[in-house]
Amino acid sequence: MKQLLEHHRYALAVTWRRLIEQPFSFITNVAVIALALALPLIGASVLVSVQPLTQHVSANPALTVFMKPEASLKQAQAVEQSIRDQADPIVLDVALVSKDTAFKTLQSNDAWRQALDVLPENPLPHAISVTLVADEAMASNADVLANQWQQLDGVQFVQLDGVWVRRIEALMRIGNIGLALVTFIIALVVLAAVFNTVRMQALSLREEIAVARLVGATEGFVRRPFLYQGSLTCAVAVLIAIGLANLALMPLNEAIGSLSRTYDTLFALHLPDSLSLMFYVLAAIGLGAFSARWSVTRHTRY
Amino acid sequence: MIEFRHVSKSYGPHTHILDDVSFTVTAGEFVFIAGPSGAGKSTLLKLIAGLEPCSRGSICVNGQQLDQITARARPYLRRAVGTILQDTHLLYDRSALDNVMLPLAVAGQPNSLAQSRARAALQKVGLAGKEQANPISLSGGEQQRLAIARAIVNRPALLIADEPTANLDRDTARKVMSVLRDFNQVGVTTLVATHDEDLMAQYAQRVFVIEPGRFRDFPVPSSS
Repeated sequence: MKQLLEHHRYALAVTWRRLIEQPFSFITNVAVIALALALPLIGASVLVSVQPLTQHVSANPALTVFMKPEASLKQAQAVEQSIRDQADPIVLDVALVSKDTAFKTLQSNDAWRQALDVLPENPLPHAISVTLVADEAMASNADVLANQWQQLDGVQFVQLDGVWVRRIEALMRIGNIGLALVTFIIALVVLAAVFNTVRMQALSLREEIAVARLVGATEGFVRRPFLYQGSLTCAVAVLIAIGLANLALMPLNEAIGSLSRTYDTLFALHLPDSLSLMFYVLAAIGLGAFSARWSVTRHTRY
Repeated sequence: MIEFRHVSKSYGPHTHILDDVSFTVTAGEFVFIAGPSGAGKSTLLKLIAGLEPCSRGSICVNGQQLDQITARARPYLRRAVGTILQDTHLLYDRSALDNVMLPLAVAGQPNSLAQSRARAALQKVGLAGKEQANPISLSGGEQQRLAIARAIVNRPALLIADEPTANLDRDTARKVMSVLRDFNQVGVTTLVATHDEDLMAQYAQRVFVIEPGRFRDFPVPSSS
């Protein structure tokens, strides 16, 4: 155990010496890797910031069929029955909301009561609320149904509710897949950058490695400083990447803040939570170590 | 200490370096390996150090059958064998002391102990005061002695040296041989490959002569 600790102490000292000897190479590598790692982080920040928006709004898509103001309750009930009879597979539930029920509901809201009290009569129409099954093809199917029901007797117009939520969710799914692809590509870039750096260093240290082997160094002893180098490079780079992503979000948030204030809401982009960031840091360090090990094993083969 | 049984070494199907070589070296012996360039002296030493495998036969060093030793265990064998190659293989980006400390770092010795043992080794080879010198600033003889210090710092039971006096003037060569002789006299088995007959006449107890296709074992120094 003491021997192993001594080996690690020595490997760290060797790593430090090599970094000090070639600071420019280390700094440029860190800069390239940090910029690369910042990209998926910014993408992830956008996705994690937008996600709560769609979660807070009901994602159940719905169609609301508004009757003409002069349409009777009987006509509305007939439309409701007609929709039920159609038994379309994407229709989950049908509910009639009479104009009186709607009026009472609005009156129970303080903000609306005063406005409604001055009206001579109830201006609201009867409405039929149709909840749809949420699936990928829902948006296009809902359009077809809306056109059909628009033709029913007494119907004023049909409104699609919640479709935009589904569309945002679909966009976010695309965004997630895109982010996964970008992360994969960035991981390859990091892998290649560390692999090449370690390759160059292993080749330039061929004599030192040969001497170490001559005096009895194990493969672990030879590899260890390179593993530290790969891990350290990625560790520094990922921390800088987090800082860069944070900096990049600042001007974005200023612009988004101005826009969101016009909608009376507060919205800002933020980095993923600290657990996710910790995972990102560990993954980057692991990737650096893996790449370094692969490279040094390949280029110092005995 | 070292036992070769019908050992052959070939590089490819047509380059036969050693053919059916058998010998035994007991602990504490001082053996010269002589022969013309390309005869196989360096190859013989590399086989003993476990740096290369033999093509046929069996080699036993320090009680270990080299053909049965795993790749994982091979570095531990090398720690028990001090190796000095013709090219000193010193590291010119660090001090003489750091060069000598390398085998101790490899063995996992604590830094403070490694430093004191490396200083002692440098003193033994007459390089006290040169601890912080860069090897490139040392003379050829000093560099060779530095390589010896690195080879003996781990207190190996076996020391092998491949042409340690090549490229050295006579006086320097004698100093280097004298250092090797000193270690042999405290019980370190020593094998030295050379073609310097004067040195052999002066120091040898036993000489192996390797010539293309032939291996001879002389128990007494041969002088011409």
